[in-house]
Amino acid sequence: MKTLGLLLVAALALSGSYAVDKNNFKTCDQSGFCKRLRGFKPEKSQYTLNLDTVLVHGNVLSAEVNTVDTSTPQRTVLWHYALRLSALVDGTFRVEIDEADPLYPRYRTQLALKEEPKADGLKLLSNENGKLTLANTQGQKVIITAEPLLLEFVNAAGEVAVVLNDNGQLVVEPLRVKKERIDDDEANVVDVQEEEGTWGENFKSHHDSKPRGNEAVSLDISFPEADHVYGIPEHTDKFSLHTTTSGEPYRLFNLDVFEYDLDSRMAIYGAVPVMYSHGTKRSAGVFWHNSAETWVDVVNYADSTVVSSLVNLVTGGQKRRVDARFMSESGIVDVFVFLGEKPADLFRQYTALTGTAPLPPKFSLAYHQCRWNYNDEDDVRGVDENFDVHDIPADVIWLDIEYTDRKKYFTWDHLKFPHPAEMVANLTAKGRKLVTIIDPHIKREAGYFLHEDATEMGYYVKDKDGKDYEGWCWPGSSSYLDFFNPVVSKYYAERYQYDNFPGTSKDVHIWNDMNEPSVFNGPEITMPKDCRHYKPPQDGNDGLAAFWEHRHVHNEYGLWNIRATHEGMLLRDNSKYRPFILTRSTFAGTQRYAAVWTGDNAAEWGFLAVSVPMCLSLAAAGVSFCGSDVGGFFKYPEAELMTRWYQAGAFQPFFRAHSHIETKRREPWLYEPATTALIRDATRRRYALIDFWYTLFYEHSIDGLPVMRPLFQEFPAEEDTYTIDDEYLLGNALLVRPVVEPGVTSVKVYLPGAASRTLWYDVDTYHAHHANGYLTYDVTLAKIPVFQRGGSIVPRKERVRRSSALMADDPYTLVVALDINGTAQGSLYIDDGETYEYLNNKHIYAKLTFEPNAMTYSFIDENAHYPTRSWVERIVIAGIKSPPKTAKLTQAGKQTALQMTLHKGNDVLVVRKPAANMAQPWTINFTY
Amino acid sequence: MIYSTWINQFHSVFLIVCSLFTYVQSDVPRPRGVSLSKAPLYSPTKDFTCFDGTITIPFSYVNDDYCDCFDGSDEPGTSACLNGFFHCTNAGHRPLNIPSSRVNDGVCDCCDGTDEYASGETCTNTCEELGREARAEAQRVAELYKAGSHLRLELIEKGNAKRNEMAEQLQQLEKDKSEAVQIKDEKESLKNELEAKENEALKVYREAEEQERQKKAEEEKQNSIRESLEHFNKYDVNHDDVLTMDEVIIARVFDKDQDGNVDAEETKYFFGDSDSVDKDTFVSTTWPLLKPLLMAKDGLFKPVEEHEDIEQEQEGDADEAGDLDNEYAGHDDEASDLDLPQDEHEEQEQEAEADQSNVYDEETQKLVNEATEARRLHSDAERTVREIEANIRKIQQSLEKDYGLQQEYATLDGECWEYEDKEYVYKLCVFQKVTQKSKNGGAEVGLGNWGEWAGPDHNKYSIMKYTNGIACWNGPSRMTTVHISCGLETKLLSVTEPFRCEYKMEFSTPAACDESHPTAQHSSHDEL
Repeated sequence: MKTLGLLLVAALALSGSYAVDKNNFKTCDQSGFCKRLRGFKPEKSQYTLNLDTVLVHGNVLSAEVNTVDTSTPQRTVLWHYALRLSALVDGTFRVEIDEADPLYPRYRTQLALKEEPKADGLKLLSNENGKLTLANTQGQKVIITAEPLLLEFVNAAGEVAVVLNDNGQLVVEPLRVKKERIDDDEANVVDVQEEEGTWGENFKSHHDSKPRGNEAVSLDISFPEADHVYGIPEHTDKFSLHTTTSGEPYRLFNLDVFEYDLDSRMAIYGAVPVMYSHGTKRSAGVFWHNSAETWVDVVNYADSTVVSSLVNLVTGGQKRRVDARFMSESGIVDVFVFLGEKPADLFRQYTALTGTAPLPPKFSLAYHQCRWNYNDEDDVRGVDENFDVHDIPADVIWLDIEYTDRKKYFTWDHLKFPHPAEMVANLTAKGRKLVTIIDPHIKREAGYFLHEDATEMGYYVKDKDGKDYEGWCWPGSSSYLDFFNPVVSKYYAERYQYDNFPGTSKDVHIWNDMNEPSVFNGPEITMPKDCRHYKPPQDGNDGLAAFWEHRHVHNEYGLWNIRATHEGMLLRDNSKYRPFILTRSTFAGTQRYAAVWTGDNAAEWGFLAVSVPMCLSLAAAGVSFCGSDVGGFFKYPEAELMTRWYQAGAFQPFFRAHSHIETKRREPWLYEPATTALIRDATRRRYALIDFWYTLFYEHSIDGLPVMRPLFQEFPAEEDTYTIDDEYLLGNALLVRPVVEPGVTSVKVYLPGAASRTLWYDVDTYHAHHANGYLTYDVTLAKIPVFQRGGSIVPRKERVRRSSALMADDPYTLVVALDINGTAQGSLYIDDGETYEYLNNKHIYAKLTFEPNAMTYSFIDENAHYPTRSWVERIVIAGIKSPPKTAKLTQAGKQTALQMTLHKGNDVLVVRKPAANMAQPWTINFTY
Repeated sequence: MIYSTWINQFHSVFLIVCSLFTYVQSDVPRPRGVSLSKAPLYSPTKDFTCFDGTITIPFSYVNDDYCDCFDGSDEPGTSACLNGFFHCTNAGHRPLNIPSSRVNDGVCDCCDGTDEYASGETCTNTCEELGREARAEAQRVAELYKAGSHLRLELIEKGNAKRNEMAEQLQQLEKDKSEAVQIKDEKESLKNELEAKENEALKVYREAEEQERQKKAEEEKQNSIRESLEHFNKYDVNHDDVLTMDEVIIARVFDKDQDGNVDAEETKYFFGDSDSVDKDTFVSTTWPLLKPLLMAKDGLFKPVEEHEDIEQEQEGDADEAGDLDNEYAGHDDEASDLDLPQDEHEEQEQEAEADQSNVYDEETQKLVNEATEARRLHSDAERTVREIEANIRKIQQSLEKDYGLQQEYATLDGECWEYEDKEYVYKLCVFQKVTQKSKNGGAEVGLGNWGEWAGPDHNKYSIMKYTNGIACWNGPSRMTTVHISCGLETKLLSVTEPFRCEYKMEFSTPAACDESHPTAQHSSHDEL
């Protein structure tokens, strides 16, 4: 929604510049462990596996790993570690390296995985010449070299796809007592060299007390013969990651960055440490399971910036390999390796671990209208009415922080919003919803129930001395709930009960903003790393072992927040209705609870453009439900930019307009009528495809595949697609190339699939194009290039109404785009749009197939039914070469002859009003 | 793209007829959703041609819940065409055309409920009730306008009278002005004549005076140097003819900020930015800075510090400071408009001077007195001219203002009305300005100055626009629109800020009760 920056706006207005203040955020050099680890470049890894300790049990190999001082002839053992290699289902392996006997337990990230990963079998095939060879049941292998420790992952084709520690950058810094001296194997006392910053670091005016000293972990991961790597959102860089050797690494640390930069590897609100490699040879992936501050270096040997001597050294000069190095401030080395064959397999493997987004309530896929702030109930009513006056559909009105009683969440400003229940009823009368913001900072004000309860019960995050931590945020002095304590999460969840949050109902949904967490006066605008979080009490865990430090959990904090919110929203109606939550902080697993938007962007063309790679990257990292503030949060979008943003947003999963309180109002009707008309058209396009979107999200909830997907997911062998991030696919049916450039009359569009002779139909004209790489495509202010893939069927609802709920019973137009064989397939999902009844087989999941002789609608889930009143009003068949003479519908044993219209010159056949009900399967037979 | 839009692009369309029409014609006088006026266009006995003339379809296709016409005309009673309209008769109330997308969507849009015939939604027919209310409202409005129109006529009368009066005043003033100018010219030549004589007589005295003054100045200068050197020697403890920081550190007078310490900054201030001073520099640079402080210390001189403090406080609140400035500026304007011309100050000074040295001989004194009297008369005459001119400008400005078609708003010019909400008091001074004042104190904030009438073309005098108020922090200048409605009493009904820095006032006045205007008859003319 917004950042601390409001306070800085005046200064900005004077200087006229718009840019992030980089001084507020650390560079690698300013982050102790990043500097330390990046400087660490051993000739050879000191980590050695002790072959005598190898034990394979079930799906797990365990063994002792030691660091060995190879520079001494005695080969002194420096430290003991425990290695676990687990084989998991679906070609996934997990490698964990912890200290064998740590001083206190090291943090293991808790919420990223949706459940304990499912085990596959693991067999030790051989143990010879210092090498172990193991295999899972899927034909994938792991070869472990004992000294120095090296793990090679071999895919089903017998090729090494991933190598761990090839560059010897495995590091697990042992936990130590301050000023400790340790005994080596021969009982010599060795002084520990204390590096500066080991027991405390400073940044600007902030001091981090680092009571546990250094505890960083690091590992290098190589992808032999890979052309590109992707992932590790959230950054404003390209989708395909760059070599970082000459600059900053990619940083993963959830931060509220005011006026974030474009083309940057700086950390912003989200951090999902998953990375995929892809190339013409193969694909692979890794998930770095760690919630601490993390930096990632990337070396792509094909990049011109990588010096050729290094290329020769590492790849023998062939320039096809990508190395990555993950460095985290704390935790353990815990890495999942995905040996999928294709990008889609990797995306599936990752979401199998961290979960898929559950089916969202249908309204949340429609259009959202937000602003910081809609001033009062009259304002909300006026905005709601204006959508109808201007005949623009809308499903949700949003309330930002000003609706509260002076920033006390779960309360209303009684002067501006005296009758919230009536206001909501006014919206729901037209099928619309309300979303209100609830931020995690709690105002420290005497008499505020939440603050009093939290203080009394000890629910707040503690500072380094164990007192309630106090920071500064919207309300002024604030504290932060410690969601890591289950009692706190339960208490928080209960705040969402209708009784506790009067005025809300099942039609009020929640926006959790500022949950990085944002702390205006904290280091890097967040919580100090030495703050304390709850850890379940356990015998022997006292002193430093009695709590987790914020440093361990930082990137996970927002996830705990939204998990509690999710729990609370389920509680409201005994888990009857599906909640909608929007979060800004993002971590692995966020998708299980919330949608994500790209935070506080600006009304600039660059921010419109970057919304595509940012959401592609998040989608690949499991977060399909992504969007950017339409129009830009800061600054004011002129008509052309606003138009283009609506057109782009209509084809991105989360479609919400939002704006800063200091900017000029910009609801669609406040522009010139011509612009309003274009916005109306763009928004209506979204609504016409609402069931297509809903079906995609249903399928995502099952297969975990991105809804918004990179071209190479569907065309993995097509090299040109590897770096394309200004266009994308929705499911496998639509190709979208938003216009993100001002004043253009044509854009370059890449149409993939030449090898398979793919056809792409312009959705505006049904004109077919043969895939043949790039083409220059004419656009107008009213048009962005969107193509339907030949061979697909897309369900549409042409009767766009005031809200998606009002369209529930409306008939379908089925758009059949034929492939070169004259066939097409598609799917359709239907349910009540808002409850969990769909899990009880109250839904329809159907397949649509078109063959020259017949089109059929049949249920994929044969046990599932839903009594929909929807019917087929029209079938549009594009690309038909020889039109049929007759068409006959068969449904429930009844036959009806149908009428058809041919639009000559466009090979488009329209079947008029089949009127088949969608609650039952049907077939249309064609004769020629 | 919506299908109907797409299909619009094709011209070569032909039908493959492969099914028989099974539609049974009903004997309704007009298809559902068609207004009486359009009913003749739908003839059940003929094929239906879309209004745009592009396609002809069997009549059975009308309202068959499938959109055949590009213009949506074949589906007046269903939601099939995205660009169509559904007509509700709403017997008992006003008829209504709603977009087709509102037919059978589960929301009752027509008061007769006819838009929801197949959605499962049962709509109560509320037309009677609404019609009754609407008629009552129309009645109320009509009565209000009727009552208001009497008051309006009075306002018109007064307005016209005011204008006429002003026009007469203007005429009179023009006349007065030419007379005043004549007088002024006479007085001026008289003054010039007498002043020439006076000058001649005073020449001798002036020269003497000048000599005296120079002598005094030289004495003062020498005194000052002497005094400064005394001080220099006092501070120059080591007598090396150079003052250093060490030497003055004990001298309290150098503690400019009176914090009990003489620091480097302070000495630099006095030493002309260097670490030490020699005698010459002390005399030329340090002494002038030091002397007032010494005098202050001795209570001889009241420093300006207090005043500075006030200014600093004001800087803390930029708005207030700004407003104070404005107020001062305002006074200046008035001053220049009305009286107290600057040269009068000078003349007074001259007089004072003359008074002081009242040592002229009798003859000279007489000339001086005569000249002084002539100057006074001349300046009086000049002031009279300026006063008249100011009044003329004021009246001209008023006469140029648009007070409405019949001058009905003329009497409101300059009248002010206030409105209070929880935080602010708003003030509208009609045809002048709009202001806002916080109840928690602070200065008035200008929300706009009279700009123009900004109502729609057919009702220009329904909205007033006040523009160019105080600029918003990081934003545009504030402005206010005043929406005027008919009311028996003239008052401000509400003030809101619907858009940032754009205020909206609701203002009622009998001046707006124009019975001949469409608004007044809106309800009564409609089909009820």
